[in-house]
Amino acid sequence: MTTEQGDQVSPQVSTSHANESTVKRPPPPETPAAVQTRFRVIAAFWVVIIFLGFPIWWKTTSIYRAHLPIEEMVDWADGKACRPVFPLEIHLATPSMQPIEAQYLLRTTQHTLDDLNEFAAHHLRLKLANDSATVSHNAENGMEGAINAEAQAPDTTLTVRLLAQEGLAAPRSELHAATTQLDVFYPPSQVPVPSSSNSPLSAFIAEELQRLYGEEKATIAHILSGHTGGLDSTSPQLAESISRRLRRSMKYAETYHLSFSLFTPGSEPSSWDIEAAVKEYLSPLLQAFEPISNFTVDTQVQLYANFAPTAPRPEYDEAESAWTLKKEDLSAFVNAAEWPLNPSIGNGPTINFILYVPDPSQSPLIVKENRASSWIVPQWGGVYLLNPTLSNAEQGGQSNPAHLSHDSLGPAFMTFSHQLLTLLGTPSTPASLPLRLQTSIRIRAATLLLSASSTMGSLARLTESLPSIPIPASVASSVSTTLSHLGATCSHLREGRFGAALASARVAETEAERSFFEKSMVGQVYFPDEHKVAVYLPLLGPVGVPLVVSLLKELKRIAAGRKARRAAAAA
Amino acid sequence: MIDRKLVVFGAAFVLRLLLICLFPSLPDLLTGRVEVSTPVNSFKRLQEGLFLYKGNVSPYDGGTFHQAPLLLPLFALFPDAKTWPLPTAIFYIIVDLVNAQALVTISESGQSINSRFHSAIRKHFRWNGVSVAAWFLFNPFTIATCLARSTSVFTASGILFAVSNAVSGNSINAMLALGLASYLSLYPALLFIPLVLVCYDQRAQGPQAPKIALFILQHAGLLVASVAGLLGLSVMITGNFWEFISATYGFHLLVPDLTPNVGLWWYFFIEMFDSFREFFLGVFWLHLASYVGGLTARFRRQPLFVITSLLGVFAIFKPYPSISDASLFFALLPLYRHLFPLMRYTFFAVSAILYSTLLGPAFYHLWIYAGSGNANFFYAITLVWSLGLSILVADTTFAALRDEWEQDNPGQQGTEVRQV
Repeated sequence: MTTEQGDQVSPQVSTSHANESTVKRPPPPETPAAVQTRFRVIAAFWVVIIFLGFPIWWKTTSIYRAHLPIEEMVDWADGKACRPVFPLEIHLATPSMQPIEAQYLLRTTQHTLDDLNEFAAHHLRLKLANDSATVSHNAENGMEGAINAEAQAPDTTLTVRLLAQEGLAAPRSELHAATTQLDVFYPPSQVPVPSSSNSPLSAFIAEELQRLYGEEKATIAHILSGHTGGLDSTSPQLAESISRRLRRSMKYAETYHLSFSLFTPGSEPSSWDIEAAVKEYLSPLLQAFEPISNFTVDTQVQLYANFAPTAPRPEYDEAESAWTLKKEDLSAFVNAAEWPLNPSIGNGPTINFILYVPDPSQSPLIVKENRASSWIVPQWGGVYLLNPTLSNAEQGGQSNPAHLSHDSLGPAFMTFSHQLLTLLGTPSTPASLPLRLQTSIRIRAATLLLSASSTMGSLARLTESLPSIPIPASVASSVSTTLSHLGATCSHLREGRFGAALASARVAETEAERSFFEKSMVGQVYFPDEHKVAVYLPLLGPVGVPLVVSLLKELKRIAAGRKARRAAAAA
Repeated sequence: MIDRKLVVFGAAFVLRLLLICLFPSLPDLLTGRVEVSTPVNSFKRLQEGLFLYKGNVSPYDGGTFHQAPLLLPLFALFPDAKTWPLPTAIFYIIVDLVNAQALVTISESGQSINSRFHSAIRKHFRWNGVSVAAWFLFNPFTIATCLARSTSVFTASGILFAVSNAVSGNSINAMLALGLASYLSLYPALLFIPLVLVCYDQRAQGPQAPKIALFILQHAGLLVASVAGLLGLSVMITGNFWEFISATYGFHLLVPDLTPNVGLWWYFFIEMFDSFREFFLGVFWLHLASYVGGLTARFRRQPLFVITSLLGVFAIFKPYPSISDASLFFALLPLYRHLFPLMRYTFFAVSAILYSTLLGPAFYHLWIYAGSGNANFFYAITLVWSLGLSILVADTTFAALRDEWEQDNPGQQGTEVRQV
């Protein structure tokens, strides 16, 4: 700026003699060299502006909007891209039957099952558990070849073993608690013969299976229908229990932090065999949950842990010969103010498990209404009141043991395992744990599929409605990862591979969340175009005006010079 | 003459040594001042880098050190500055004296008065080299910079040596010195065009003038080669090329550290919306660079004056300015003693600078330590400081223009200026 100011001043100096102001000498004319210099100065500034300034302006203020497959995202959100189906494959093992009979039984049972089912997305597919089943499966998927038959084969949900047993009036069933096997004992006389239209055995099996998967079916229907309603046939009690369970369980997370805390109002017990207890009672469960979530385990011991002063004291109940707490007072245990219950360890929610050992003077301590010693706090954790055998201290009173052994922690940790299952939203039926875990996998896959899809829809709507926000390339790549994994989830579900479906759904959910909560997108949401004037003008206005004016003057001079030359040439 | 020079240099040496010995805490106090030490020249940060370097860790780990890596082996030669402050201090004093010697050379070449196309009218108004050196050596800003052991003095050395070699005709040495200065703090590279014009004018006065385009290209190649050589040495020291490039030049260019200083950038970028930050970084840097072309075109006859006024512009508008940049500008100003009678706002400029020099530390104290002020207090003072400097730059520019005009129009001396 300085130069230009000087430039304009110096060649145009006008002189005035102070003592003879009447005579005005005109300023000396500008030399061509001076004009040339001025042109160069102005050109030097404009060269910088045009060749460096404008590219920088263009480069730094253009909003990068990566292309997003909006339609596909909306399709997912509207459920058009994928109709999740849950074909459960159930193997029928018939060691003591003729193949013809078994085939017939299979067909009639399948028929009965299909008649009973009124929720099409969730259906049971029966297969005979022998080699022929696998072979026929391979023949169907001939394209993929036999090599990846192992990977392509659907998960076997349940094996039904039909065992003939003499002396039975009607068939009966027995579910193994630790495996995915259902034994059905039947009187040999009830083996169906192809001539009869329906057999009591196939009806029994169908009914049994229907009962086994009733809760799961209702839950999935509940989730897929968007929590508005489930199946018509679902009994009100079942619907209530499902929605209650969904309310109590934690929101799904990639990683849960389990925090085990030992609280006691006195100085004892001051140590516990927590490592061994976790290893024995919890680790197998956590391993089983591995496909669903990751877990970290933290523990702490807190001595002299008192209740909040406002919390009501336990009362002694003569009839029970125990100290009792009222149900409504149990909230005193969620005492984050005085007990260091870590609200968050790293990323992901924390599930708290509290083992409370009451003071010897108040032992045993139970809940008044139902004499329970443990309870669950929805979406938070669980509490267990441990009343150890008291030992006589030297001073006459009684005291807690100084150390809680591995065995004495057993019941507490069994309870905690149960509470963990509940908090993670595992259904309460059927009785077999592997089956419940499988159900849990299916439910989680459905939940994640829906949630990632709806996140995609929200992201699509957001980018549509705010054309000025930037979309970084990372968001686009997250979206494409999400969509491809959603597709994979859907096809895995259709093929009945629920473990693989959940794995894909987890990736999809993580990526969907990452793309939706991308930080750099939010910056310009509240930045309308008119604000840009306020950003540009205060600095660039004052700088720009002299530059533009000098440019115009220079252009005018050049134009005038040209006209004069043309006139001279014409003359 | 020699005696006077000895006296001035000796007195400057003794004065600095006395200050250090009488007030042992003064160097550390000055090192901590934001007016003297910026993130790119702070001696404290150099010590941090040195500690990491001696411990065989990359000096740029930890993100406090942003200076050129070649300073590290140099300072590794000195004993620890905490326990043995004197050797380092004496080294800095010697650098100051060497700079003053370069100034003497520049002044005695007479380039500021008589150059190829230009011959000032008021030739008799001039100071000799020793006076110019004395003006530099006894400038409180220079003394404070020296005591604070700011590494800007090495950049100043590079620039002064480049100029002194250019005016004495050693164009190759001039380019090497400019390469050193550019390597140390990046912005001196903008001085290339006026400096190469000084060299060219010097050469063109000789028997056969080379072609100007070829001359400029050769010297640009020389500058690039010298910078490349220094970068190569740095890679040998640090091992990781991109790490040190982004920690030093990336830091200069992107201005991530907004610690207050006497410049105008920090407050502006604190307030700026994040999405416009990159754009305004570009605007600020272009603003700094755009003066080069305009000034060079206007003052083709006096390239040395272009260098002087550009140093003034840099002292105001560069990203991390300190008083050492101002002291370098003030060091070259006395070369233009013959312009002083033509300047119109000297009083105002000098008052503004003195005012901000005194009130700056006070307002900084109010803001940071006493807590009774806020950032605007200090920012207002830096505005006044920049205003004072800009008036000075603008006024000398005006005076130089007026001088040229009077030379072109004899018989108009003493007439009043009026804008029409």
